[in-house]
Amino acid sequence: MNEAVRQFTDHELALARNGDAQALTALVLAHQRSVYSLALRMLGTRDLAEDLAQDVFMQLNRNLKSIESREHLAFWLRKVTAFRAIDQLRQRARLATHLKSDTHADHYNDADTCDPLLQRHLKLLLEELSPAARAVVLLRYQEDLDPVDIARTLEMPINTVKSHLKRSLEFMRQKTPGARSSRGEDETL
Amino acid sequence: MSQDLESQLRAALRPIAPSATFEKRLIACVTDDPQHSQPKANRVGGAGWRSRARWLPVAAAACVLIGVGLQNRLQVRRERENGLEARRQVVEALRVTSQKLDLAYEIVKSQSSSFTDENPGV
Repeated sequence: MNEAVRQFTDHELALARNGDAQALTALVLAHQRSVYSLALRMLGTRDLAEDLAQDVFMQLNRNLKSIESREHLAFWLRKVTAFRAIDQLRQRARLATHLKSDTHADHYNDADTCDPLLQRHLKLLLEELSPAARAVVLLRYQEDLDPVDIARTLEMPINTVKSHLKRSLEFMRQKTPGARSSRGEDETL
Repeated sequence: MSQDLESQLRAALRPIAPSATFEKRLIACVTDDPQHSQPKANRVGGAGWRSRARWLPVAAAACVLIGVGLQNRLQVRRERENGLEARRQVVEALRVTSQKLDLAYEIVKSQSSSFTDENPGV
């Protein structure tokens, strides 16, 4: 995400605010991976993730005037994506139509990042977390945000963020054979 | 699985690139949409269309229900107007009948009074 933010310049942001097509394209290219990945890992399927990513970018397009900087842009995208995904998951839970992974044909397969078995295992563990806890874990380990930034993004007290992280990691450790804790992570919590 | 979990998570959760088709569609969608125009009308194909398509049966059912409701309401209004017209006709008929009866009564009354005048001993 940080690399993407560096690629997108302040000048391009100013042009995008004025509706410049090239600048808008650069904006999309710079941030689509982050938004799409967050949506995909929150919602679990490509279709829903594409829907959500498209909605987020359309909403951004209508609100570009209010974006003050590149950092604000990244913050805004993460926040809107996470909130919309959490809303969708809660709505899905209310309607009792939660699509379990095993029954859903549209699994994403991120074979180019790491061991596919581990990928699948962690994905299934992520899906067992509550929507808020899932968002916290994704912002921490996908977006590499620290707990303070996560708290700001999700409008949560910092202690709630730390509590979500701690409980989620404990849960994942219990379910992952041979997993060890990292001393550095424990210190941040 | 022997590495620490946080490293495994970081490795597993690296951002994923969306498909090239989605990327093209998204760029087209964002760049074709003027910032302050109505976004729904300009959304093109694919994922956005899929989400709208899910609501089409609901919208169609709502239209049918509204149509049936309107027709029902029109029918009720028509029947009420017919009822009012029938009532008006009945009242008019009663009024005419009443006038005729009054007239007949007057005739009978005038005939009976002239008969007693001509035959005072009866």
